[in-house]
Amino acid sequence: MPPKSSTGKEKDLGGEEEVLQAVILADSFNKRFRPLTVSKPRCLLPVCNATLLEWTFESLALAGVQEIFVVCRSFPEQVKAAIQDSKWSKPASGIKIVPIITSKQTFTPGDAMRDIYTHSIITSDFVLVMGDLVSNVRIDEVVRIHKERRKTNKDAIMTMVVKESGVSHRTRSKGDSSVFVLDAHTSECLHYEPIIGVPPTKHIRIPREILAEHPEVQIRNDLIDCMIDVCSVEVPSLFQDNFDYGDIRRDFVSGVLSSDLLMKNIHCYVAQEGYAARVADTRSYDAVSKDILSRWTFPLVPDDNHPSGHLYEHLRGNKYIAKDNTVSLSRTCKINSNSLIGSHTSIAAGATITSSVIGQRCTIGADVVLHNAYIFDDTTIGAGSVIKQSIIASKVEVGEGSVIERGSLVGDKVVLGKNARLGPFERVSRRKEDVLKELGEDGEDLEEDEDSEDEWEEVEKPHDHGEHLDQENAPGILGEGSNGIVWPQGPPEDDEDADEVERFDNQRLMRLGDTASDLEQSDDEDDDSSAYSDSDTETDASSFRPFSHTSSRSSFSLHSSTFEAASSSLHGLSDAAAEQEFRNELKQSVKRAFEENHSLDNAAVELKTLRMASNGKLRTVREVVVEAVVEKMTIVEGDAQGQRKEIAEVVDRWGELIDRIGGVDHEETIEILQHHCAKSARLPLFGQILATLYQEDLVDEDDIRAWHTKPEAKGEGKHPKHGATLEGIKHCWSVGGKMIEQFNAQESSDEDSDEESEDE
Amino acid sequence: MDFDESGSRLLTQEFIAVILAGFGNELTPLTYNHGEEPCPKALLPIANKPMLHYPLSWLEASGIRDVLLICPTAQKAAVTHYIRSDASTTAFPSLRIDLQVYGDTQDIKGETCAVLRNFAHKIKQDFVVLPCDFVPSPTFPLTRVLDKFRTEAPYDGSIATTCFHEWQKPEKGTSIEEWNSVPIPMPIVWDEPSGTLLHIDTPDDIDRNDSSIELNMSLLSSYPKVRMSAGMLDTHVYVCRRSILDVLHEKSSFDSLREEFIPWLCKPQYSRSKRRKYGSSLSPSSNSPSQGLALQHATLHTRSMQPSLHISSTSSAGEPRTAPSSPIDSEDDIEDRASLRVGIVVHRTQDGYASRANTLYSYLELNRHFLAQTSWTLPSDAESRAMIDSKAQISTDSMVGHTTKVEERTSIKRSVVGKHCIIGKMVKIVGCVILDHCVISDGAKLDGCILGKNTKVGTKAELVRCVTQAGFEVDAGETFRNDKLEVADWTATQESSEDNEDSGESTDGE
Repeated sequence: MPPKSSTGKEKDLGGEEEVLQAVILADSFNKRFRPLTVSKPRCLLPVCNATLLEWTFESLALAGVQEIFVVCRSFPEQVKAAIQDSKWSKPASGIKIVPIITSKQTFTPGDAMRDIYTHSIITSDFVLVMGDLVSNVRIDEVVRIHKERRKTNKDAIMTMVVKESGVSHRTRSKGDSSVFVLDAHTSECLHYEPIIGVPPTKHIRIPREILAEHPEVQIRNDLIDCMIDVCSVEVPSLFQDNFDYGDIRRDFVSGVLSSDLLMKNIHCYVAQEGYAARVADTRSYDAVSKDILSRWTFPLVPDDNHPSGHLYEHLRGNKYIAKDNTVSLSRTCKINSNSLIGSHTSIAAGATITSSVIGQRCTIGADVVLHNAYIFDDTTIGAGSVIKQSIIASKVEVGEGSVIERGSLVGDKVVLGKNARLGPFERVSRRKEDVLKELGEDGEDLEEDEDSEDEWEEVEKPHDHGEHLDQENAPGILGEGSNGIVWPQGPPEDDEDADEVERFDNQRLMRLGDTASDLEQSDDEDDDSSAYSDSDTETDASSFRPFSHTSSRSSFSLHSSTFEAASSSLHGLSDAAAEQEFRNELKQSVKRAFEENHSLDNAAVELKTLRMASNGKLRTVREVVVEAVVEKMTIVEGDAQGQRKEIAEVVDRWGELIDRIGGVDHEETIEILQHHCAKSARLPLFGQILATLYQEDLVDEDDIRAWHTKPEAKGEGKHPKHGATLEGIKHCWSVGGKMIEQFNAQESSDEDSDEESEDE
Repeated sequence: MDFDESGSRLLTQEFIAVILAGFGNELTPLTYNHGEEPCPKALLPIANKPMLHYPLSWLEASGIRDVLLICPTAQKAAVTHYIRSDASTTAFPSLRIDLQVYGDTQDIKGETCAVLRNFAHKIKQDFVVLPCDFVPSPTFPLTRVLDKFRTEAPYDGSIATTCFHEWQKPEKGTSIEEWNSVPIPMPIVWDEPSGTLLHIDTPDDIDRNDSSIELNMSLLSSYPKVRMSAGMLDTHVYVCRRSILDVLHEKSSFDSLREEFIPWLCKPQYSRSKRRKYGSSLSPSSNSPSQGLALQHATLHTRSMQPSLHISSTSSAGEPRTAPSSPIDSEDDIEDRASLRVGIVVHRTQDGYASRANTLYSYLELNRHFLAQTSWTLPSDAESRAMIDSKAQISTDSMVGHTTKVEERTSIKRSVVGKHCIIGKMVKIVGCVILDHCVISDGAKLDGCILGKNTKVGTKAELVRCVTQAGFEVDAGETFRNDKLEVADWTATQESSEDNEDSGESTDGE
């Protein structure tokens, strides 16, 4: 049917005009993979011998994406190089990949989205994914549905792809999951509730107004959110408009859904078929690797479509062995099911390998036992070692007879001596200097990065302090001649400051090999929370056991207590610093407002948002504003009339700002004015300013009286702050006193008020 | 061998039906006393049949024989009269109705829980609680609810099965604002595949948090894919295990079955602490043989007991076969197997109209519904037919009871007219429900009214959207709109009706 096919072609051409774009946020914005990620970005960690980035590319290619932007923050050079080397950069691949390097100040996905907005690279609806995606979901189908929906509803700005599974799918993180409330018919997302594992979220709260518009809704706790979003062009601009959006789900989705102003809709696409999962933490690293080996991700499996282009032979029992005949397996070694062995790897006699992934060019010694282990490229495992449920990075040398227990992570190029004994959940990396030396240019970035600086400090601190411990214990753990240091276990010092999801206890739920059975995870509501006398308040005794670290070394707890005192004083210091910074920012903002002659509304909004952003005190804002307004008045020497006019002008223009910073406290205003005048050259103006404020109704008579009776106002009690002189304070107080006398006089002489006080 | 005896033992009734008849506070002034006589809610006619007829015939069709009918003392005579009347004995030949009364003497004022507690000794087996005012759709047999309970109770440990029907928002412009506010349904959460009721958002919950609905995470982890709706009304039909009554005794603070006890009953399904505390009394392990074991091993039977499994079977693509079993998840299943399920049967509107006649609005709607169903229902006996003047216009969607006199040039449209009424000349009746023994004089106009029995309407009076108390008299030429007309100046009635009001404070719309 030739005529028909031609019309079909035309349609195809029409469709081709729009290139399907995708944005990969390659950075993880968290530290779950430390120390594997000290010298490498997370997106370059291998899963089944292909980097996460390659898996993500493969998943997107499957969906027909033609242009990919990779937003990378840490180790951008490595990412760039990896993109260059990947098969997708070859001219025939049909995909254009563009790396975008964002600054170190990009701390959240939201920041990255703002960066994308400023680059203005997005031209149409695009796919937003994280750089850790393994998926065979037909995203192109979702894009089609999304575009279809956009035709009728311009406000449908985003479609989230979620995978239907069950509550306890192994790639569904207990520590960071979510509940979606969807419209049963349109699958519009009506409410989003993030769920964390520890402390367990006990309730979800669904706004009642949802039911008014959507009489029947679905509440889904069985969806895996793998962060595949089909977004419209306005999504990055929404991030730009709302600078406090950090996380895409917890801030952006919740924000959009709960906002009455935006009037935007977000939809969900519930994928019934296919596989999609993120390698967001070490536990899901394990789960996804196993899923790939057991072929849930088909057609993305090691023996076909391997993202790195490796060739593997698929043997019975899901064993994969590199096809190029370079693997040397000894006659007596035993390879059990669900294992993958990379090329040029040799496995010596008597080794037993179960459910493990071994990279390329590895050497596995005799009688080694690998159980659920992940060994990256170029690693040597000494004879007789036992490794369970751990990740060993590349170029590691594990000495003979070592034992590495479940959950351990060993960073790149670490050398473990003979008979090293790593307890469960030990994390080992090289020392900072070694890592930096090698990284060269990228390392400088690392040094600039404040965050990782702190982290290293914490890692190396216990060892510096307890030198004897280091000498005695380290060889015991790491073996003779090791170049590694052991990272502390237990929650980091600033655990409380961290995001709820990133706190230590919750992170344990995402840790490889951690059953977390000692953590209180019951989401049961124990209290009856009702008025009945026989309420069922019993503690859930069976599931609660006191928290205990599974650490084999008790030394760390000793250290942590000694640092507590030091850290608290540090906190105090940093508080003061934060306050100072906040103050400076406020000053800048007010100055700008004065210079550029902003409207009061804009200036007030800016101050308010500043305060929200840095959680500052209202008083600080007031101080800054009052000071700025006072300083704005120029001193007119010898011309009382002119001076009065100047003050009136300034107060008329800017005075109202004092009351519009988010709270009204006139008494405080006077007090601040007093303290400021006392230390500034505008001391003589105090009376006039106060009078003008009074006229402009910025302070009332009662406020002046209340202030005047306070002991602080008289200069008693506290030391005057910031160089304000006692005399100044007293002077101001007496001026205030005169004013009150006037008020009294006015009251008695009844109503000829205003002129007199102006004369003052 | 004595076959007869063993036969009767086998026929031990599976269920006993408990019909709760209340004072009908939501239906005032129709249910106010007429003089000294009560006007029991249960006997208010819907399409010229007493309300009670509908649940009773539902029971008759379901095969349940024993009925425990509980009504207030004051209504005993009237209700007994109805039960013994020809109409009911012919309609329900197999029902054994045991009429019990409660009232001021027993310190019960009509709280549904208290009533049940009081008559618990009469209930020896699993039971069905019904309201006197539920009018089921003919396509919705009670056996549907019973069967769900029958399959789930023995092997799955279900403790109760409830029944909800879809609710339609009354269209705007109907007269409801003036009469009574229509209760907005309480939002419910249920699991569709297994038919499990999980949460009812009670007025107490609204008091606690009026901006959002709180759901337990434990609910969502045991039932991860649930529906929530604010468009479902409780039919107040509950099939319950006998053991529930023991717990009802324990929880002596509950008053209302619908608003307090049933919502509470949903919680042990997923709350571990409640399950520990009440699990054994809610679902005592019985030694009676059941098919439980067989059903568990049946490969064809979908196991609704473990909802996660149920769902995974439909989406097995993502479900890992080799998933390591986590010790935390399975703990409870082993602990006790009984699901303590509160089942739910949802009756959708497309399957037929069903409603409770517990507000004036729904009472009128139900009457209109039956008018739309039937056509040209005039008395069949010649004597009654003769009383209707040939010049009267009665539209096909109206209903006229027997021995009612309709005089010439009167028009009746979309209305139900009861028995023994006298309707004069030139009367216009549109969209009304007129109860028995009403007298409507010449030239009166009635639009959208409900007239209690013995209402007298004077000549050329005009009533629009009014409800009258039994025995009310509208004087000639008077006009009322959107009003509830009560007999106020009738001193004798005054007292007794007030009594009634007090005593029926919380009948929960029975």
